[in-house]
Amino acid sequence: MAKKPAKIGRYRIVSELGRGAMGIVYKAEDPNLDRLVALKTIILPDDNDVRREYEKRFFLEAKAAGKLTHPHIVTTFDCGEHDGTVYMAMELLEGTDLRSRMTKEGVTALEAIEIARQVAEGLGYAHERGIVHRDIKPGNIMLNGGGAAKIMDFGLARMRMSDHKTSTGMVLGTPRYMSPEQISGQPLDHRSDIFSLGIVLYEMLTGTRLYGGENIEQVEHAITQTEHVPPTRVVPGLPAMLDFVVARALKKEPKLRYQDARELAADLATCQAELRAQSASAEPSASGSRTVKLEAGNERAADAPAARAILVDTRLPLSRLLDPAAVLKEIKDPSRELTRLPRPVGLLRRVVRDAAVRQFFAIAFIAGAAGLYVALGL
Amino acid sequence: MATSVMGSVVFLKIAEFARRSASEQARLRAQLEAVIAVVTAELAPASRLVLDAADGAAVVVLRNPAGALRVARRALNAAAAGLPLAAGLNHGALQVSGRKGGEGMTGDGIAVAANIAAFADSSRVLASRAFREALADAAPGREAMLRPAGTFTDSGLRSHEVFTPDERGLERRRHLYLAVAVALAIASIAGGLTWRAHEGRPPFVEVVVAKYTYLHGLVHRARN
Repeated sequence: MAKKPAKIGRYRIVSELGRGAMGIVYKAEDPNLDRLVALKTIILPDDNDVRREYEKRFFLEAKAAGKLTHPHIVTTFDCGEHDGTVYMAMELLEGTDLRSRMTKEGVTALEAIEIARQVAEGLGYAHERGIVHRDIKPGNIMLNGGGAAKIMDFGLARMRMSDHKTSTGMVLGTPRYMSPEQISGQPLDHRSDIFSLGIVLYEMLTGTRLYGGENIEQVEHAITQTEHVPPTRVVPGLPAMLDFVVARALKKEPKLRYQDARELAADLATCQAELRAQSASAEPSASGSRTVKLEAGNERAADAPAARAILVDTRLPLSRLLDPAAVLKEIKDPSRELTRLPRPVGLLRRVVRDAAVRQFFAIAFIAGAAGLYVALGL
Repeated sequence: MATSVMGSVVFLKIAEFARRSASEQARLRAQLEAVIAVVTAELAPASRLVLDAADGAAVVVLRNPAGALRVARRALNAAAAGLPLAAGLNHGALQVSGRKGGEGMTGDGIAVAANIAAFADSSRVLASRAFREALADAAPGREAMLRPAGTFTDSGLRSHEVFTPDERGLERRRHLYLAVAVALAIASIAGGLTWRAHEGRPPFVEVVVAKYTYLHGLVHRARN
């Protein structure tokens, strides 16, 4: 393990907060302003050309992120380079990230909606300034003790994306929170973040992994092909409007999604009001006090993708509108009449069961008899 | 293996659903559910099933295609006040799938009804040929309630011949049969009279009048 440096740039390192594939995050002190910051370091590639390109992009992204000042976005103070490592000094937050929170304690429905609303507000602000996060996931949402959510790592996602696919085409990391267009390598816009936030919201509400799979291909297939089960079916008692909010955020086609994160935030605020009204009527399951806990590493068993896709194409869930028990019983043990194809209607059946045809034949018969009588009778 | 049954599917699609705001979607969905609850009330519980769809709902009706057609028409009438609906009708194979408590339905019956509903304009009911045949099988002659409305090809390149309800179709058909029967009766009697003249027999009317003497008095009075 590398030794903790005493200083990076002008920052005095206090302690290590965490480390990941890209680098290490330190708690550091800015001597100029006498304040504590989170210092995120990123290890640069060895190859000089790649390194220069990487560095250039990093500073561009950091500069763009530095312009974002919003209560729901972690503020970037500074960036720089020190001994082959680039770093970013950011606002230091006391609290936990959403991923740990979901794994350890779970979140209530009301909290889930509030967190998603705050993140949507933050995204709306960034999107207005032309900045797309590209990596919205629970690990990048920080929660402080007061319940405020802040989006982390604006500007770093693009650096990570370049690592997502290696030169051999192998995918690194999990694309579980990526949008369909991100997976298929199409150009991205702000609507990609909305899709990712839709996944986070779904998982917070239901406590289940939305797009699971045994390998990356299965996850990618699930994201691009399969439809989700509405949240109210997983957790009855959630406001019905949440189904529509989630469905709209999770549209595979970007043009059918929310076109603006603030619009999503507004709808979430309406859901929140509805849920609060429900809690006031004190129904336990609808109160929002039900805690859903996301089990660490416990992915929902995924069917084989192809079969699942076929199933999803035409499968419609039973509505809770009418009790289906009687008809399901009928279908499980069907009579012969229920299993046969419609038969063509023959002449005899027509005459017996079709009034107009019966009338026609009756008149024709009487007319024929009358004609014969006129011709041959008397 | 799940058993396949044949049933009629009324797919009620809310127009432009995906483009609406979530609050409007929730309002329209609630409105649709109210409409479905009203229009399916006449059907026996063992013959109807409601399925949720992303942009509407599907009502499965067993053993009663005429009832399914009525549901579609009544749903569109009831929805005239601010619920932009289109209905697709089909009759086909249906299967129940999924675990108990989380059941759903699959099958060509649903897929084709959904395709037809997607093709139909708002406030319009379209039905497949299979549905028309099922209607004819259940109540011969009722197929006249649907008249041809063209063909379309769905996104899976499958062609569908579609029919639309015709309010006066049954009545027109009955009038047509009656007119043909009357014409046939006239032709038959005229043929009899011609044959009689050709054979050199006395005119039919004179023979009748002579035979039934009370008619003679009537004819005489009429002439005077």
